[in-house]
Amino acid sequence: MSGVISYQEWTEEQKYEQFIKRIEAGEKIEADDWMPEDYRLTLIKLISMHGISEIMGALPEKEWVPKAPSLKRKLGIMAKVQDEMGHGQLLLRVAEDLMKPLGKTREDIMQDLFSGRLKFHNVFHMEAPTWGDAGLIGWLVDGAAIITQTNMLNASYGPYARALKRICAEEVFHAQHGEAIIMALAEGTDEQRAMVQDAVNRWWEALLMFFGPGDATTTGTSKQDTTIKYKIRTKTNEELRQDFFTKYIPRVLSLGLTVPDETMQFDQQQNLWVYKQPDWNKFKDIIKNNGPKSKERLGLRQTAYDTNEWVRDALNTAN
Amino acid sequence: MGSEGFYQEFEVFSKRTDTSSLQYQFSLLAPNRELALVMAQENFMRREPVADIWVVKRSDVRKMTPEEKQSLMRLDNKEYRTTKGYGYLKKKWRHYEQEMLDEKEILSWGGMKKSE
Repeated sequence: MSGVISYQEWTEEQKYEQFIKRIEAGEKIEADDWMPEDYRLTLIKLISMHGISEIMGALPEKEWVPKAPSLKRKLGIMAKVQDEMGHGQLLLRVAEDLMKPLGKTREDIMQDLFSGRLKFHNVFHMEAPTWGDAGLIGWLVDGAAIITQTNMLNASYGPYARALKRICAEEVFHAQHGEAIIMALAEGTDEQRAMVQDAVNRWWEALLMFFGPGDATTTGTSKQDTTIKYKIRTKTNEELRQDFFTKYIPRVLSLGLTVPDETMQFDQQQNLWVYKQPDWNKFKDIIKNNGPKSKERLGLRQTAYDTNEWVRDALNTAN
Repeated sequence: MGSEGFYQEFEVFSKRTDTSSLQYQFSLLAPNRELALVMAQENFMRREPVADIWVVKRSDVRKMTPEEKQSLMRLDNKEYRTTKGYGYLKKKWRHYEQEMLDEKEILSWGGMKKSE
């Protein structure tokens, strides 16, 4: 080797080359490591959105804590709601460490949520009017989340991969909790079966949207190419949606339920599911906080934040 | 903003049982050490058994820089420090009709009574 140069003296190109070499070799990037700006910004956007979605996602389910049909179900759904808040805490930490060099903190994340700059998952803008919805969220919404999150368990960014490992382990409990509710209703009275079917019909479009548009032509922007290039994930939105169909459609049908799409079928030749696209304009509108429950849930979050301000102030002064 | 400097970063470590090693969990934000401990239990110990929890202010941890981490790479010439470098003794002892006292055998002696 012809003279070792200190890392500080490397050019940006050399650092970039080294970075790509490291992620190609399966090494993990840590918070203090050098990283390209678009890698950092993509991660911040992805992880702050994921984190805040966990927190906003606890809201439709917590509506069912006081109304759960038995003590066992109440304990189960309470544990799940607490897990979601815990996942939010984990993920916000990962996002905050990435934002630190930009001079941003949790306060900025909260303010961005309130102002609408930071979006949360489309599914958590929707209504959950029956106990069937409570079960369906655990079974299929968490099922969809498991598909996207397990796809990132080997993400090149170490702190995110480690957070996801903890989260996915708990998601397994959530999915089974949801399955247990759905199974009990599906094996119940006609009224209970109808309740599950209604919930499936109500959530179907939102579940398709959950994976995001197939490509940028649908909604104008898509980060999926960047996340794949940087080995944050491996599969495209469409591949993940197809995986979801393959895993869940047979299970939905086996319980005697139907999906509200007559065109839905598995095409043997193409080896993929053919289905009716959701209304992607509606999707764009929902995540702009114009969904049925967007404003109410944001209001609830804001109220909680405001009414607890005195606690933060009191402890702040005490430090 | 009223909450400027409210949150501090803490690193969380825990032990699963009395005999297990301390393991790094994750980080969290809390306004002080006492709340950090409460948060650590709530955030990371909801299901798994736990025997002890430590919280450490991140600013008190001297971490390695990426450059320093590079210097940790070991050269593959440390056999003389490990049992691997003395593996040939097994064959030798067999020649003397003796069993080799290897790591597994030696570490199994802990439970032995003095009289034995």
